[in-house]
Amino acid sequence: MSIDQPFERRATDCDVMLLLEGTFPYVSGGVSSWVNQIIRGFPQIRFGICFIGSRREDYGDPKYALPDNVVHLETHFMHERQAMPKVIAEVGDAAAYAQMDQFHQQLREHGRRAPDPGDISASLRALEPLLQDGEALDEASFLYSERSWDYTADQYRQRCTDPSFVDYFWTVRIMHTPVWTLARISNKLIPARAYHSISTGYAGFLGTLLKQKTGRPLILSEHGIYTKERKIDLFQSEWIQDNRGVFEKDASQLSYFRELWIRFFEALGRICYDASNEIVALYETNRLRQIQDGAQAARTRNIPNGIDLPRMAKLRALRPENPPAVLCLIGRVVPIKDVKTFIRAMRSVVNLMPDAQGWIAGPEDEDEAYAEECRSIAEGLDLQGKVKFLGFQKIDELLPKVGLIVLSSISEALPLVLLEGFAAGVPAVATDVGSCRQLLYGLDEEDRALGAAGTVVGIAEPQALAAAAVDLLRDPVRWRAAQAAGIARVERYYTQDLMFAQYRHLYEKSLQEADALTFSVSALAAGCPINKTGRA
Amino acid sequence: MAGIGFELRKILKRDNLLSLMQAYTYAAVISSGPWVLSIVGILIIGVLSYAIVVPNSMIVQFQVSITYVIATSLIFTGPFQLAFTRFTADRLFEKSDDVILTNFHAVTLSVTLVGGILGVLAVIFLFPDQSVMYRLLLLAAFVVMCNIWIATIFLSGMKQYREIVWMYFFGYALTVGAALMLRRYGLEGLMAGFVIGQALLLTGMTVLILRNYPAKQFISFEFFDLKLMYPSLLLIGFLYNLGVWFDKFIFWYNLDTSQPIIGPLRASVIYDLPVFLAYLSIIPGMAIFLLRMETDFVEFYDAFYRAVRSGGSLETIEECRNGMVETIRLGIFEIIKIQTIAALLLIVVGETVLGWLGISTLYLPLLYIDVIAAGLQVVLLGILNVFFYLDKRRIVLALCAGFVLLNAILTLMSIRLGPAFYGYGFALALLIIVLTGFVMLARKLAVLEYETFMLQ
Repeated sequence: MSIDQPFERRATDCDVMLLLEGTFPYVSGGVSSWVNQIIRGFPQIRFGICFIGSRREDYGDPKYALPDNVVHLETHFMHERQAMPKVIAEVGDAAAYAQMDQFHQQLREHGRRAPDPGDISASLRALEPLLQDGEALDEASFLYSERSWDYTADQYRQRCTDPSFVDYFWTVRIMHTPVWTLARISNKLIPARAYHSISTGYAGFLGTLLKQKTGRPLILSEHGIYTKERKIDLFQSEWIQDNRGVFEKDASQLSYFRELWIRFFEALGRICYDASNEIVALYETNRLRQIQDGAQAARTRNIPNGIDLPRMAKLRALRPENPPAVLCLIGRVVPIKDVKTFIRAMRSVVNLMPDAQGWIAGPEDEDEAYAEECRSIAEGLDLQGKVKFLGFQKIDELLPKVGLIVLSSISEALPLVLLEGFAAGVPAVATDVGSCRQLLYGLDEEDRALGAAGTVVGIAEPQALAAAAVDLLRDPVRWRAAQAAGIARVERYYTQDLMFAQYRHLYEKSLQEADALTFSVSALAAGCPINKTGRA
Repeated sequence: MAGIGFELRKILKRDNLLSLMQAYTYAAVISSGPWVLSIVGILIIGVLSYAIVVPNSMIVQFQVSITYVIATSLIFTGPFQLAFTRFTADRLFEKSDDVILTNFHAVTLSVTLVGGILGVLAVIFLFPDQSVMYRLLLLAAFVVMCNIWIATIFLSGMKQYREIVWMYFFGYALTVGAALMLRRYGLEGLMAGFVIGQALLLTGMTVLILRNYPAKQFISFEFFDLKLMYPSLLLIGFLYNLGVWFDKFIFWYNLDTSQPIIGPLRASVIYDLPVFLAYLSIIPGMAIFLLRMETDFVEFYDAFYRAVRSGGSLETIEECRNGMVETIRLGIFEIIKIQTIAALLLIVVGETVLGWLGISTLYLPLLYIDVIAAGLQVVLLGILNVFFYLDKRRIVLALCAGFVLLNAILTLMSIRLGPAFYGYGFALALLIIVLTGFVMLARKLAVLEYETFMLQ
């Protein structure tokens, strides 16, 4: 398979339609690799891909070759100028707008108290047909009707704390226009037996609409937490207006329009959680966050990323008898990894263990200024020869020479380097971010009983990090116990096979549900084995 | 007409009774100056020539000829007036001032050429019995007058209101003087005097224009570019002027109500004089209209769009909208009040005035209804102006078309009903259009924010 294969693929139907927002195959990264892994892991499933991006020019050539079992690929762009409906003044349907208002109220209330399962979905199911062109809540009505104007003006009066009406007006417009774009996409998308969205947001909303329309099951997998990531984007975006005067401004308070965007994405999240049959998180902290954001606990589960265990397990045999006094940070040299804290910790480590070394294995070209700063800190602390910048390294060659994996990041999700290190027999010291605590100490009773695979320390605490590392390296008994715990944990919970098994279970369950549905619709239709399509 | 509002506001800012009076006088002179000066000028020439020009019917022939020239030149240049005003405003907004003068030349050239050809055809075929001198002077008067209207439009587009008024004042003084000097040569003498005076007025305006607005190039034709042109404005300008004159033409060419005056020109003395007298009564109404529109209304209008564009709160936007509504309401009430007073005054002194002009008091009722009609015309002008500000050209077009149609139908009906109903056709047509205009204006203003935001 080569990259120059024709990239749009067309089929009349598929088994699982993947709803991908800003990721595979046009963007490289952790989530995209995971999608690639999943598609290739289930060659018997015919996947469709509906890619949703911001604007066409934001994406270059595809970064991945399309696996053969991707039978359908279509791309849509939310922020591209769409053809607007013709400007025709209309009054608007009072009943439909009342219904829409109720839906908004429901979403707002959901933000405040525990949700009644299914009520958002029920309201949306009633609204969805009205979004079609020519119906009471079509895009033309949203853009041009007097009711829509009245509603916008009312909401502004009741809620907006920013004085600028024109900014409010356009924020609301720009924010909601994708709703109709997505409704149109959902009308035209080829039939699938199940839908799988890899985020909430626009893709999740599309999945919700598709589920409403077809009744087919919707699986939601979240690697990060979409609304949280959006919040960070929105904090950084300068295009959002803030028109409060000097005296109205309270630094602790977000600009109203930022808040509005955040609430919009939170609402999209709640809508999607309410509609999804299965809600998958990568690790426990995120699963709890999903529940807090409105997901029903019973539908949630963790399916962590898995590693190729046999490949890593082979490396254990290559290790020297005693653990080498080498601390290694594996990752890009960028601020989020907080490489500086690792270097500062190395000063203390070397003070206590003069023969210890600190390696930094990862590309330095992403933020060259930062890399330069790291080097000068190492020099300033007189660590030449002790802290080594190795650049990108092959993990199979690196791990046998390492005594301890160090992760000093200020943010992580489910870091694969820890799992790969464990599998290769290397314990770790990591900051308390993302799933690190879960990976090092274990999640439930049974998991914790396997022991600690290293030590968790606070972020930006070089002394604590150094102390934890030295404790492990100087105490062979503890070190071996941590190694054993790491190996046991990764073999028990974090292998690729386990991940595939859990997704296989999810897919099979969903496809069977879909087929049962089809069956009940057309009892005369022939039976639908998993590999065939089950359209009525 | 933003510049004028600025001048008026300066005067009003001084804020005492005298400054208020001053502002009203200024507004009155600017708004109705050209109008009133031409009516007064013709009347003066007539009155002062009574004893000298023999026979007296020549004075009527002169007055009627000039009235036709005014009417036809206004209707003929109507399409250019509004369209060129808009063109000027748009170019000023774009800051491409230099093309305005070159296009002024293009418009005057076209008006002169087309008007000249039409005029030549008219004097050749319609006036076979008149002297060559009269025919040439009539042609000259028509072409010069057309050019004066265009020059007036140009100067008011460039906010040269004071200059316009002075020009007209001196122009008509010269016209009256020249006509009186040449009156002993009879009809041709009066006509020649008029043409000379108007030609001097046009020359003065042209000098003023050329001196103040240098251009790199003499002529260019962007005005006729369809992308920059508003066809609806052409039509509106034509229909409005046609509407204003339609009832007069009907009276002139209805055999029961008119007399032949000269060549094909007929006049209706009983109808015309009361109408022209009535137009003199609109001076105070026009003054108020101008003052309200150009100061208070424009202030709220600007504030409204500023609030919309630069992030005002919805409350501010609505306040400005309400301010606009309030000034329109106030302005129209004031016009109605002042026109009522003017009408009452004319009703009191009307009999004396008619007697003084030697017109039978039988026509007093006609004068009364004409005063009311003229007042309504000022109100209509006010409504149309607001619609122009809101850029609702289609509504203005509909109102003007309706005005022409109603004026024609109702005037014909009034003639059939008999002399007691003369003037009612024109007045009723205006009343209906004004009321319709009010309803549409109320409706448009009620949804102004909706339309501004949602339907752009």
